[in-house]
Amino acid sequence: MAAGAMRESGFGTLGGAGGALLEVRDLEKTFRRGARTVQAIDRFSLTVSEGEFVAIVGPSGCGKSTFLHILGGFEPHDGGTMLLNGAPVRGPGPDRGMLFQEFALYPWRSVIGNVAWALEVQGKPKAERIAIAERYLKLVGLSQFRDAYPAELSGGMKQRVALARVLAFEPRILLMDEPFGALDAQTRELMQEELNAIWQQTRNTVLFVTHDIDEAIYLADRVIVFTARPGRLKDEIRVKLERPRRIDVKKTAAYMGYRNRVWDSLREEVLKAREEFR
Amino acid sequence: MKAAAAPFSRGRRAALGLALPLAALAAWELSARYGTVPDYLIAPSRILAATWEMVLSGELWRHTADSLLRAIGGYAIGGAAGVAMGLLAGIARPVERFYDPIVSLTYPVPKIVVLPILIAWLGAGDASKIAVITAAVFYPTFINALYGAKGVNRLFVWSARNMGAAPLQVFAKVILPASLPQVLTGLRIGLALAFIVTVAAELQNSRSGLGYLIADAENSLRFDLMYAAIIAIGVIGFAGDRVLVALRRRALAGQTLGKEGAHG
Amino acid sequence: MADAVLRSLARWYSVPLVLAVWELLARTGAVSRRLMPSLVEIALAVWDAIASGDLLFHAGISLGRAFAGYALAIIFGILLGVAMARSRAFDALFEPIFSFGYPVPKIALYPIFIFVFGFGNLSKVMMIFLECLYPITVNAFYGMRGIDRVHVWAAHNMGASERQIFWRVLLPGAAPAIFAGLRIALPISLIVVIITEMIGESRGLGYFISYASASFEYSTAFAGVAAVAVIGFTLDRALVWLRNRLIFWERGAAFIGAA
Repeated sequence: MAAGAMRESGFGTLGGAGGALLEVRDLEKTFRRGARTVQAIDRFSLTVSEGEFVAIVGPSGCGKSTFLHILGGFEPHDGGTMLLNGAPVRGPGPDRGMLFQEFALYPWRSVIGNVAWALEVQGKPKAERIAIAERYLKLVGLSQFRDAYPAELSGGMKQRVALARVLAFEPRILLMDEPFGALDAQTRELMQEELNAIWQQTRNTVLFVTHDIDEAIYLADRVIVFTARPGRLKDEIRVKLERPRRIDVKKTAAYMGYRNRVWDSLREEVLKAREEFR
Repeated sequence: MKAAAAPFSRGRRAALGLALPLAALAAWELSARYGTVPDYLIAPSRILAATWEMVLSGELWRHTADSLLRAIGGYAIGGAAGVAMGLLAGIARPVERFYDPIVSLTYPVPKIVVLPILIAWLGAGDASKIAVITAAVFYPTFINALYGAKGVNRLFVWSARNMGAAPLQVFAKVILPASLPQVLTGLRIGLALAFIVTVAAELQNSRSGLGYLIADAENSLRFDLMYAAIIAIGVIGFAGDRVLVALRRRALAGQTLGKEGAHG
Repeated sequence: MADAVLRSLARWYSVPLVLAVWELLARTGAVSRRLMPSLVEIALAVWDAIASGDLLFHAGISLGRAFAGYALAIIFGILLGVAMARSRAFDALFEPIFSFGYPVPKIALYPIFIFVFGFGNLSKVMMIFLECLYPITVNAFYGMRGIDRVHVWAAHNMGASERQIFWRVLLPGAAPAIFAGLRIALPISLIVVIITEMIGESRGLGYFISYASASFEYSTAFAGVAAVAVIGFTLDRALVWLRNRLIFWERGAAFIGAA
C-alpha cells in the first residue's frame, strides 16, 4: 500500500522506488544521570524508502532529536538495529548528511570554505571541490556570498549554507534536526518553500524532525507522530498532496484535513508531556 | 572522539593525580638520603621537621603575620578602590571616559617597577609595599567590576525601572547582584596578585616577612628555613584562594556559577 | 580633520590631565623635586639613557629573557592543555598540579631556581616559563573543552579523520581561549623578569631601575619605568593585533578587556 500511495501522488519513483533504504527496528535508548535513568526511546521502528521525505513530529523532549543523533552516529543506543542500505549503522559517516538546528558552520571558514570542506575531507582535488561547492551554493541561491563569513550572514542564509554543505557531499539520506527551529516565522516559511523547491530537483531521501505540524505536512510524504517520553511510534499519516507543492497548498481543505488529523494525534501527547512537568 | 570512553572512577583519578607529586617527593627523599645531590635539596622529611619546629617556636608566625598584614592591607585598599571605581565607571559614562585611557595605557605595565621609587618616597617599611600591592590589585578588580556592571542585561534594568525603582535601588538591587560574579572574579585574580607582589617585594627589600625569610635563609645557607617559608607561602596562597572560592559560592548561591571553578 | 583631532582629544583627555597634574606638583615644589622630577627632567633622562646606549642594552637583555620564557611556556602550555583536554589519563595526572598550584605565588621558588639554574639567564627564563605556563595551559584546556559539540559532529558527519578534526576544528575552535591565555601570560612574563632582575642581577631593566633609584637618580629611574611601560603597552597591542588577524571571525578583543 505504501508504494502504491506514493506512485498515486506521482513522486518517489526514483531508481529504487519502494525499496527500503533505511530500516530501524526496535530502537531503545536510555539516559543515565547518576542513579537516575530516563527512557528516551522505547522500541521504535521505522522504514524509509529511497527518495521518500519523512517528517517526525512530537512534543518537546520526546526523544525525536535523540533518535536523529543516534542515527547520525553521534550518540550510542541501547538496543535494536539500524540498517542503511542493508548495512548496520556504526558511528558517524558521510552516507548520512546531518543538518543541525544550530547550523554548525565553522566561523573561521568562508561560505565556500564551509561547503567545500566536506569534499576536502573526502580527498577531492581543489578545482573539483570548488566547482561542486559552487554548484550547490547556486542551488541554495547564495552564489554571490561565496566569500562571506558566517558571522556576516542572517540565520536563514546560514542554514542555506549548511544545507549546501550537506548536499555537496551527496549523502544517501539527509537527517534534518529541526533545521528551521532557530529562525523567525517569516524566514522559516520562506525556507520551507526553498527546501521544497530544492528537494523537487534533488529528490533526496530525507528524515526531518520538527515540532511544527505545518512544516511537516507541507514538506513530507509521510508524517510520524512520536509519543511523549519515552518516544514511541504513535501514529503515521501519509500526506497525499500533489507535488510539486506550492505554498498555497496550505489553504486547501485537503491540507486542513491532514493538519487536524496530525494535531488531534499530537495534542494528547503534548498534554501528557505537560503533565509530566507538573 | 573520546566521548564514548568510560570516565575514570573517583578513586582511580585521585590515585593518578597523586602519582606525579608523590613519585617526585619519593625520588627527592631517597636521593637526598642515599644519593649525592646538591646541599640545597635537603630531604622533604627534614623540611617538614624544620617547618614544624618553626611553627612551634613562633618564628614562622611572626613573618607570616608581617606578610599577611602587607598583602591584606594592599588587597583591601586596592580591591575596595578597584571595585568601587569599576562599578561607578560601569554605570557612569564620564567616569569610564576618565579611566579608560589611563587604565588601557598602564594595564600591561608590571606595577612592581615602581617599587624602588615608592621605597624612596615612602621608605623601605610597610607603606611602600602596601602601596605597590594596592596598585597591582586595583587593575584586575577595576576592569572586572567595570565589565561586570557594563554587561548587566539591559532588560533587568528596564524591568526594574518599569516597576518604578529609583536609580539607587536599581544599582543596589539589580546592577550590584548582576555584576557580582565578575566582581568576584576580579577579586580572585587580585588576591593571587597581592600574594605574588608581597613575596616579590619582600624578596627584594625587606626586614621581615616570608619573602625576607626566604632571602635571608638563602644567604645564610639555612635551606631548611628557606623551604619552611616557601611552604608557608604556598599554603597561604592556596588557602586564600579557597576562602574566596567558598565566599563566592555562598554569595552566588542560586545564580548560575561562572565557569571558573577550582581550576582557576 | 580638526574634528578628528578634537574627538581623539576628548577620548584621551585624562592622560594629559594626569600628566599636567604631575608637572604642576613637580614644579610648584608641593612634592620634593628630587623625589618627583618634572616631565622635562624625565624626558631628558630618557634621552640620556638612550644616547648612552644603556637603556637599549638593558631593555634588550630583559626582552630576551621574557621572550625565551614566554615562548617556552607557549609551546609546553598549549601541548599540555591540549593533551589534558584530549586524554583522561593526562587530565588525571596533571589536573591537581594545575588546580593546586594555580593560586600559589611561584615566585617564592626563585631562590631555589637560582641554586639549580645559576644566577644568570637560565634561572630567570625558567621562572618566567613556570609562571606563564599556568594561565596558558589552563586556558588551552578550557578552550579545547568548550568547543561546540555540533562542530565536531558535523566534521564526523562529513567523514573527517581524527587528525583533520584536530587541526581543522579543535585547534581553531580553541584559538580564542588560547589567545586569552597568551594575553594573561604576557604581562606576567614582564613582571617576573623585572622582579628577578631587581633581586640579584647587574643587567636588565629591573636592575637599571633599582640601581638608579638606590643611587638617588630618580629621573633615571622614571626613565626606566617609562621604558617598561612602553614595552608592556606595545607588546600587548601587538598581541591583540595578531589575535584579531588570526581570529578574524570573532569580534576583536576589547581595548582593556580579557583581564
